[in-house]
Amino acid sequence: MNAKEKARERTTALKRLREEHAETVARTQALLKEQQAFRKKLRAAMKGGPKTIPQIAAASGLPSDKVLWHVMAMKKYDMVREVGRDADYYQYQLAEEVAE
Amino acid sequence: MAEERLRVDALVVGGGIAGMQASLDLADQGYHVALVEREPSIGGKMIALSKVFPTLDCCSCITTPKMSAVAHHENIHLFTYTEVKTIEPNGGSYLVHCVEKPRYVDTGLCTGCRQCEYACPIDLPDPFQMGLSAHRAIRVPFSTAVPQKAVLDIDHCLLCGKCEKACPVDAIDFTQGPQDLVIEARAIVLATGYETTPRDAKAEYGAGKLSNVIDGLMMERLLAPTGPYLHVLRPSDGKEPDSIAYVQCAGSRDETLGVSYCSRVCCMYAIKQAMLLSGALPMADITIYYMDIRTFGKGYEQFYQNARAMGIEFVKAKVGRITEDEYRNPIVRVEIMEEASRVEERKHDLVVLSVGMLPAYDPRPLYGVPIAEDGFVEAACPNIAPPMTAQPGVFAAGTATGPMDIVDSIVMAGAAAAEAAAYLERHDGEAKTYAGRSISMGEKEAIHA
Repeated sequence: MNAKEKARERTTALKRLREEHAETVARTQALLKEQQAFRKKLRAAMKGGPKTIPQIAAASGLPSDKVLWHVMAMKKYDMVREVGRDADYYQYQLAEEVAE
Repeated sequence: MAEERLRVDALVVGGGIAGMQASLDLADQGYHVALVEREPSIGGKMIALSKVFPTLDCCSCITTPKMSAVAHHENIHLFTYTEVKTIEPNGGSYLVHCVEKPRYVDTGLCTGCRQCEYACPIDLPDPFQMGLSAHRAIRVPFSTAVPQKAVLDIDHCLLCGKCEKACPVDAIDFTQGPQDLVIEARAIVLATGYETTPRDAKAEYGAGKLSNVIDGLMMERLLAPTGPYLHVLRPSDGKEPDSIAYVQCAGSRDETLGVSYCSRVCCMYAIKQAMLLSGALPMADITIYYMDIRTFGKGYEQFYQNARAMGIEFVKAKVGRITEDEYRNPIVRVEIMEEASRVEERKHDLVVLSVGMLPAYDPRPLYGVPIAEDGFVEAACPNIAPPMTAQPGVFAAGTATGPMDIVDSIVMAGAAAAEAAAYLERHDGEAKTYAGRSISMGEKEAIHA
């Protein structure tokens, strides 16, 4: 199969998948939008130095269990770093701030 | 659609510790084995555990070499992300129809570099981390997964194509579809494992709605070096807990859940976790609320006594209810059965439910293998050949047959492999034909329907 045929096959397959999975794609898009809005608030609250989960939750008005989940997801993908401790809590900081 | 056909001596269903051990024991005797696992990686529940009792050896250090041995054994043909759909007798053998689900990744090209995973924009609860952390719609299942290949979850994919752009070897393949596979096997070993009591099973224990009431497998992840937080933290706010309680028999010996049996492992895993927590959090108070402590195995009683000596508090009691205060600290209402019997409410930072083992799979519709009253596979000859089922040539191993620990699962897998080998020898003609003929593991017939 040459490159042109391969590209055509890929386009057809993607079109078919978009049709077959229209509902799940729409649901995932809605979830992504929700996550992006959450992350925007989270990132704003995390600016300005190391913070614990309760401090981020208080600054953002977001629930602390969800803050923890998102901070851990961001940490896994190198967007957040664990930088220290404050009593019983670890402190986290945006990776770009740590690098500065 | 192309259909692949493979002839082997034995099919092993399930790639957890029992399935891997049965496969290796058969393959080492020269039998050709097909191992079918429905998840994208082998390893089962054991690969997610922290350490084993009573030796406190690292689980990953025991499981990973076996996973690797399975993947590289010349007599084992491994099929991951594959499910058995139908099965039919075929004159002394079984024709097992399977479907290999599409990964949307060319496994021949994928190097497991995870660049696709980093490019994917959506975060989803990671089942390997018991939902405590996230993974992406396309990901390598976990760091020691076998095969170390990415898999795309089409039901949570945006079809945005970012993974395709990020992949340095052009391994993303949206043209893939389900692949039919027929395995002809003369013997089958069922190693389909177990599930645990759902965390939301008991309304009295918060019905899964209390963040700081977790189950034993979640604690395993918190204790594992590849865990979701890389520390033991409570899920409501990331606090390092100062006071941790275990509730024993939270799903076993409980008629209200329809589970009358003892799950056999919960006492020991709770004691093990308590000891590991004592190491990870030396200042924390750890309490185990128990009805009885059952330490039946070799070295288990000494392990329990060591835990007591380390200062872990064992309280003979029954927990009636768990609620939480305004700071989401679990409040345990407990009937203490020591000295003067009394009811108390005790506050902890984190509560762990020692959930029990439930059957994971009903083998009746596909294999015609009966189940016992407890829902696990029924042994046809429980006293003389526990792995034998009522179906000729079909054997069972590990927790598919009932609650048991890792040691017993491995022993039973060895027994199932021995029974299967003896069966193959007794039904000599075909078995010898398969094992002795120069059929290479890669021999397949492509039958185009």
